[in-house]
Amino acid sequence: MDESQLIARVRAGDGEAERALYDAHVDRVYRLAFRLAGDDALAQDFTQETFIRAFDRLGSFRGDAAFSTWLHTITTTVVLNGLRKVKRFRQREADIDDAHEIGAMQRHAEPDLKVRLKQAIEALPEGYRTVFLMHDVEGYTHEEIGAALGVETGTSKAQLSRARAKLRVALADFAGEWTT
Amino acid sequence: MMDQHEDPRFEAWLRKAAESYHAPDPTPRDVMWQRIQTARRQKPVIVLRPWMAWAMAAAAVLILGIGIGRWTATPTGRGNPVAVATTPLANSDSGLAAPSPDVVYQVAATQYLSRTEAFLTSFRTDLGKNHAANSARFAGQARDLLTTTQLMLDSPAGKDQRMRSLLEDLELVLMQISQLDPAHGGHDADLITQGMNQSNVLPKLRSAIPAGPVPVRTEGAL
Repeated sequence: MDESQLIARVRAGDGEAERALYDAHVDRVYRLAFRLAGDDALAQDFTQETFIRAFDRLGSFRGDAAFSTWLHTITTTVVLNGLRKVKRFRQREADIDDAHEIGAMQRHAEPDLKVRLKQAIEALPEGYRTVFLMHDVEGYTHEEIGAALGVETGTSKAQLSRARAKLRVALADFAGEWTT
Repeated sequence: MMDQHEDPRFEAWLRKAAESYHAPDPTPRDVMWQRIQTARRQKPVIVLRPWMAWAMAAAAVLILGIGIGRWTATPTGRGNPVAVATTPLANSDSGLAAPSPDVVYQVAATQYLSRTEAFLTSFRTDLGKNHAANSARFAGQARDLLTTTQLMLDSPAGKDQRMRSLLEDLELVLMQISQLDPAHGGHDADLITQGMNQSNVLPKLRSAIPAGPVPVRTEGAL
């Protein structure tokens, strides 16, 4: 059965078709949510929210684009809005703590590549980070990213290029590893 | 021509190195599916019949008209706040001079639910990171939210059966968090988190909050 038939069955209220559609896409949605959130509980929340919204709004899916493209638009919206909400909450809490405590919590630069890479990726602006993780880590095409984020394909390419440039500067200490 | 930043060797190295960044766990398909089904069953379904759409459109036009009327009204009325303050609402000609208490409670409830959602999400993800320091902080915040929850239960917002049930679930969770003891390690917190997952508090909470950021959810209500 092709996907359009599956979607038609879901619209008609077929529970098995709903589960089949979920099974076909849940891995990619969860992986993306996890890459962006870095936390299993949050990734699960975002994945659940994505599918709840997708099933509720399936009536508005016209089929102009692939279902996966439409679903990833919902995923990125849910994840990015959710992360902004969590970040705002954490920021408010950090503002309440005294400056000494915040200073003590900050990590110093670590020589370890894994730690440095994590810090460098997290220091990227949100758009650059999202495009970098979607393209270079999760293997989305620029067309898929553009559709999911509502930007031109060229914008996605430009943001990826800038993200890589920033990471290259941030990881300059490890240059020996890619030049040899 | 190669872009000045383009370096295939660096890009290949970076892709490989970044594989370990937030490397996902195996997808917990069944657990998430159960929660999705539960949340969808509990979500109120509003079937918009044609007459409802017309009624909503008419109401929207009416509200817009009143809004424009108030916006363009001559400043004479605005210059007399004492008269407004001393006139009982029931005697007001328009009846729209002030929002109804139910609307006020609805707005307050939306803001409270959004705050609680952010708090519980943060509790679940952040507590394990620095248990001793965070549990005292979370306990303090839970006490504040618990007070608000109890006020909400006694308010008109608590008359709605669905909202009441949600508030009672939240009251229980917040009460447990407010009693967290930093000396007890993470066991109590794990039990609270398990309880939250079993009672599906967060999905219920999310489905009770209208979509969009808080200012949008409450925009125009007052």
